[in-house]
Amino acid sequence: MSVATLSAARAGIVSCLTCGLLSRPAAAEPGYCRRCGAKLAWRKHHSVQYTWAFLIAAAICYIPANALPVLGTTALGSTEFDTIIGGVIFLYKTGSWPLALIVLVASIMIPLGKIVALSWLLITVQRGWARNAHDRARLYRLVEFIGKWSMLDVFVDAFTVALVQLSPLMSVEPGLGVVFFMAVVVLTMLAAQSFDPRLIWDSSAERGAHGG
Amino acid sequence: MDHLPQATVVPPKRSRISVIWIIPLLAAVVAIGIAVQRYLAEGPTIVIVFTAAEGIEAGKTPIKYKDVNIGQVTAVRLTNDYAKVEITAKIDKHAAGLMVEDAKFWVVRPQISLSGVSGLSTLLSGNYIGFEPGKSTDSTRIFIGLDVPPVVSGVAGREFILTTGDLGSLSIGSPIYYRRVQVGQVTGYELQPDGKSIQVKIFVHAPYDKYVTTSTRFWNASGIDVSVGADGINVHTESLVAVLVGGLAFDVPPFMAAGEAAPVDQVFALFSDNATAMKAPDPVAKRYVLHFDESVRGLSVGAPVSLLGLTAGEVTSVGLEVDTARGDIRPRVEIVWYPERIVALGNVKGAAKSEVIIQDEQKRREFIRKLVEERGLRAQLRSGSLITGQLYVSLDYHPNSPKVKLDFNKSTPEIPVVPSPLADLEAKVGSIVDKIDRMPLEAIGKDIRKDLENLDETLTSAKKLINRADEQLMPGLKTDIEDLQRTLQAVERAMNNANASLLEPNAAMQEDLRNALNEFTRAARSLRVLTDELERQPSSLIRGKTEPSGGK
Repeated sequence: MSVATLSAARAGIVSCLTCGLLSRPAAAEPGYCRRCGAKLAWRKHHSVQYTWAFLIAAAICYIPANALPVLGTTALGSTEFDTIIGGVIFLYKTGSWPLALIVLVASIMIPLGKIVALSWLLITVQRGWARNAHDRARLYRLVEFIGKWSMLDVFVDAFTVALVQLSPLMSVEPGLGVVFFMAVVVLTMLAAQSFDPRLIWDSSAERGAHGG
Repeated sequence: MDHLPQATVVPPKRSRISVIWIIPLLAAVVAIGIAVQRYLAEGPTIVIVFTAAEGIEAGKTPIKYKDVNIGQVTAVRLTNDYAKVEITAKIDKHAAGLMVEDAKFWVVRPQISLSGVSGLSTLLSGNYIGFEPGKSTDSTRIFIGLDVPPVVSGVAGREFILTTGDLGSLSIGSPIYYRRVQVGQVTGYELQPDGKSIQVKIFVHAPYDKYVTTSTRFWNASGIDVSVGADGINVHTESLVAVLVGGLAFDVPPFMAAGEAAPVDQVFALFSDNATAMKAPDPVAKRYVLHFDESVRGLSVGAPVSLLGLTAGEVTSVGLEVDTARGDIRPRVEIVWYPERIVALGNVKGAAKSEVIIQDEQKRREFIRKLVEERGLRAQLRSGSLITGQLYVSLDYHPNSPKVKLDFNKSTPEIPVVPSPLADLEAKVGSIVDKIDRMPLEAIGKDIRKDLENLDETLTSAKKLINRADEQLMPGLKTDIEDLQRTLQAVERAMNNANASLLEPNAAMQEDLRNALNEFTRAARSLRVLTDELERQPSSLIRGKTEPSGGK
C-alpha cells in the first residue's frame, strides 16, 4: 500500500482538522476530538457542494465587481467613476506600471485564479482523478495562502474614501463594484475553506466514498 | 433466530441539495437585479456630430443642462468620411424626453473675452457638452452639434435681426444698450449668401424687449464718438466695454411715435452711429439723378445733400455717363433724399403736413414737381471747404433758371442742375484775366519810358536856360534901371520946365501937355508893370508875359 493510497479514513480512524489528532470515531458519528474538542468528520460536511456554491456565487459576483465602478472621484465638480480595470489602465498609462501590475495581479488575476483553481480541484475530485495529487495539494495551499491578499483592493478603497474628503475640491466615494468585489474575495475564501483537501487523496485511492 | 435477516442500516437520507445554494442564488439575484435596474435606468443613446471634438473624452465628458449632468459621452469617433466627429452619448433616462429634433448641443470651453469670462469651470473640469432643449415634440437620436455656443439659453426675451453692411467690431456677446442699460447681447452673425450684407442676430432680455418697437432704430455704439461743436468738444461713449469690444444701442427717434412692440425676428437696419440712426429714416429714401456739366472733382459718395442749407440726404454714386444723344460724356451723380428728414427738421406745425408728403407717394411727387417747376429748385455743386476742396450738392431755389419739366416716369427722376457759383466765379475771373492778358502792356511801358526820358531832358535844358538868364540878364537889368532912373530925373527936370511953361495960360500948350502927360503916365504904368513882372519873373523876358513856368 503506497503512501498515496493510504488514508486515515480507510484505516477506520479520523483525523482532527484543528490539532491533527488521530482518533477512533464514535459509533455512528465521528464525534468530537478528545484533545481540542473540535468536531470531527470523516470528510468535511458537503464539502464539494459547499465549495461549488461559494464558487458559483463568487463567479457571479465577479462580473459586477469588474463591470461596476469601485471608486468615484469628484475633482472640482466633475465626478469620474473608475472600474478596477479602468484604474489599471489609468495607472499603466500614467507610467506607474509596477502599481498597475500589483493592482492587476491582486484584484483581477488572483480572484479569477482562485475561482479557476478551486473549480479545477472540485472537478478533479468529483471525477476521481488520481494523477497530480501532489500538485493539486500544492495548488490548494497556494489558494488558501493567497486568498487574503485580494482584500488589498477593498482596504485601499476604504482608506481612500475615508481619507480623501477634501470637499469641495476633491472627494472620493465608494462605488457599488467594491461591494461585489468584497463579496468575491469573501466567497472565494469561504470556498477555499469549505473545500476539504483530503478529498484530493481520497480519489487517488478510491472514488469519494465519503464525499458529499 | 440466527437465520433472521439483519435489518439493513440505512444512513439517514440527506437532501442532496444543501441550503448553501442560497448563497449563489442570492448573488445571482442581486447581480441580475442590479443589471435589470441599470438597464431600466438607462436612457437613450444619442449621436451628436461635431466639426471638432475639442477636449471631449469618451467616458468622461458629461452633457449638462442647467449645470446638471444629463448624460455622458461614451464614444468619440470620426465620421465615415473623416470630415467630422461623431460623439455617442448616453443620456440619463430622466432627460430622455429632452432629446427632440431642435435640441442644441455645443462644446463648452473656457472663453475669455473683454466682455467676460465664460466656461471658467471647464478650465479645471475639462470641456463638457452644453445642451439646450428644443420646442419640438419629435424625438430623435441624431443631432448636429453647434460650433458656436448659443449666447443665451433658457432666458426670457426676444430675438431680432439687424442687417448691416459692416460688422464693425461686433462679436458674439457684444452688449446691447438701451439708454446705457445693458439689455441684451449679440447672439450671432451671418454673411448673407450674396456677400453684400451681414445679418446680426441679437437677443434682448425680458422685460426690456418690449422697448424694441417697430419704430426702433439700432445703431453701432462701438468706439468713441468725438464731436467738436460750438459748445466745445463732446465725447460720447456707451460704456468702456462697448468701446473695447463693440456694442449696439437702440432707441426710438424722438420725432417718431413709439409704435407697437416688434415681433420676434423682426429685421431692423443697423445704423453706423447714433446721429445717423436718429436722423436718417431710411424707409422712404428717394433717389434722384443729377447730370452736371462741370467737374465733380471733390464730390465723394456720402457727401451731404443739403436742402436750403440743411442736410437732407447724401450722394450715393458719382460716375460718368455717356450721352449718345448729345455725343459727350458728363458726370452723373445719384443722390438719395430722405423726405422724413425734412419732417424731422420741420417744426411741429408743419410736421403733420410733411407727414402726408412722406407717406403719400403721389402727393410727394406733386410737391417736388412744384418745387422744381415753379419755384425753380435746382441742384448745384458747392464747395464745402475751400481748404480740402470737398464738394456737396445743394438744392436751392434759382427762380431765374430756365423752366424744365420733371419726369417721374424714369426709374430715377432727374433734378435739373445749375452751374456751381464756384464755376461761375471762375469763368468771370478768367475773362478778366484774359482781357488783362490782351492789353499791350509792354508797348505802353516803352512809350511811357520814352516820354519820361524826354521830360527829363526838357527839364534839364530849362534849368540851364534859367541859369543862363540869371547870369546874363541881371546885370543888364540893373543898368536898365539906372538908365530909367536917369531918364526919370531928366523927365522930372523937363516936367519942372514944363510946369513953368504949362502954367502959362496958353491952353493949347496946356492941352498938348496934358495929353503928353497922360501918355507919359500910361508909359510909366506899363514900365512899372514890366518892372514888377521882371522883378517876379525875370525869365519872362524870354518866355513872354503870361506863359506859366516849366511843363511840357
